[in-house]
Amino acid sequence: MSRARSIGSTWWMYGLLTVLAALWMVPVVTVIMSAVRPLGEIRDGWWNLAGATFTLDNFFGAWNEADLGSKALNSLIITSFSVVATVAIGALASYAFVRLRFHGRGLIYFLLISTMIVPVQIILIPLLPWFRTLGFAEGTWQPFMGMVLVHAAFGLGWAVFMMGSFMASVPVELTEAGQIDGAGHFDVFRRIVLPLALPGIVSFAIIDFVFVWNDLLLGLTLLDADHAPLTVGIANLQSAHLAQQDVISAGALLAILPPLALFVALNRYYVRGLFSGGVK
Amino acid sequence: MAASTPEARSTTHGGGWRVAWLFVLPALLVFALFYLWPAINTIVSSLFTWSILRPWQAHDPATWRYAGLDNYVAVLTEARFWNAALNTLIWLVVFPLLATFLSLLIALLIWEIGRGARLFRTIFVLPMTVSLTAAGVLWALVFNPQFGVLSAALGAVGLSGAEVDVGPLHVRLGDWLSNPGSLALGPVTINLVNLTAILPAVWALTGFGVISLTAGLTAISPELIEAATVEGAGRYRIARDVVIPQLRGALIIVGVVFVIYALRTFDVVWVTTQGGPGTDSEVIAVLLWRKALAFFDTPAAGEATAIAVLLSAVMVIGAYPYLRSLLREAPG
Repeated sequence: MSRARSIGSTWWMYGLLTVLAALWMVPVVTVIMSAVRPLGEIRDGWWNLAGATFTLDNFFGAWNEADLGSKALNSLIITSFSVVATVAIGALASYAFVRLRFHGRGLIYFLLISTMIVPVQIILIPLLPWFRTLGFAEGTWQPFMGMVLVHAAFGLGWAVFMMGSFMASVPVELTEAGQIDGAGHFDVFRRIVLPLALPGIVSFAIIDFVFVWNDLLLGLTLLDADHAPLTVGIANLQSAHLAQQDVISAGALLAILPPLALFVALNRYYVRGLFSGGVK
Repeated sequence: MAASTPEARSTTHGGGWRVAWLFVLPALLVFALFYLWPAINTIVSSLFTWSILRPWQAHDPATWRYAGLDNYVAVLTEARFWNAALNTLIWLVVFPLLATFLSLLIALLIWEIGRGARLFRTIFVLPMTVSLTAAGVLWALVFNPQFGVLSAALGAVGLSGAEVDVGPLHVRLGDWLSNPGSLALGPVTINLVNLTAILPAVWALTGFGVISLTAGLTAISPELIEAATVEGAGRYRIARDVVIPQLRGALIIVGVVFVIYALRTFDVVWVTTQGGPGTDSEVIAVLLWRKALAFFDTPAAGEATAIAVLLSAVMVIGAYPYLRSLLREAPG
């Protein structure tokens, strides 16, 4: 804070901010209260605390009966493999874009970066028959693998943009010194560039985790019920028009917690990543 | 940037293009198979009649039912498409304006107060990690006509189910997700249910604006503001004449990101209203999805790909300056 001011002259700002913050908290408090109270009590208004009972039954209901437990596992599988794949192939490509010269470099870079702007709808519909052609439509692990590859392809532009900018800040003298010592490009990449660009890579990994974990459209379109992620499970519960606000609330909280925990634990990296450019 | 032109940074010591291609190859393969080809497939197959059950396949001429520009003609002459285009336009106008305005207001207030800034910033930024799907679920609880807090608040002041007519504006308080009213503007009727669907997105994404604008604010030199203070400018004038002009770059990025989001919005609408009631809040992305996947019997996937091409064309043309700026920032 460059300009400390006395509370006296800023009271109306605190007032306005408090009102806005309270509005921002309304849905959060609503979902928490709806998740920890029985449906009958929610129907009388969750703010009605007379004779309130608190329970974890809704979470068990969401996890077991509503089958969100297996959906959460699906989300975890898809997200972790997607992030690892995108970081791995994205980091290699970033190194080439930042430190190497080759034919087609400009064109490939342009294509990758345009995916940050072109809507995902441009690939969405043909992917479904394409999955069938490639054998990703059925099986226990094949749909996961297809989904991971699609997320990797879609995340590459962002990966190269972000990790590339961090790798570019590694002094050229350092990598050249490595090469003079006789190390090949892969050694320079692994021993010099990767460790120095690690904060940037972590930033990207977190943003990609949140992005993939929160995806609805790709999961809804490409995956069957056995492989669908948590977001699809929740969206289906929501659109079923059944009175199950208790279970949906618990499910929504389950979906919110992993990215939130990651954000709280690694806040610094997350924010730095966002500063390095636009957002998907 | 003269010292960091691509030529200056790119070195090919001890390798050559073969090594470079080894580094790029995995990315290129994944990208070609799972982005580039599907994208080309979308463009080509928009010229054919096909459905998800009987798809157009490049390798199988038996599936080629050439339609020329019929899909585009069908889409562009359909009332339902223009209804979705209008709803998307409402998103394009309301969402970026509202989210950018709130981001600026909140970022400025937090920047001014000093004490407690961290707590406030956390409250506004945390929803960024919440998926739009979950945000939709949360707000659907708030909007619930029977036991949502909004309806309860209206009931408390005796306005439950009240109808308000102000000129062309017709508002029904209470039925936020089903029929909150409309605004008649000549031949065009704007359904207010779109605003209900926009609010969760504003709630979730304003944090991005707050973070970006806060970064812009900390980059403003304190001398600039001190000089203005010495000249006797008040807080409001400093904000308007000194601070906001300095934030121009950050505001443009925030605005562009919000516009990009608004044009392809799907999640929130899908979860809160499913495009309803009827097609009152159906946006382009929802219509596209329905054409391809919800009507399995009618071969409208070709029309859906035509919509995808139109949507992408609008996005690329509209956001081209932004794309150029991204490429200018290119590493290496």
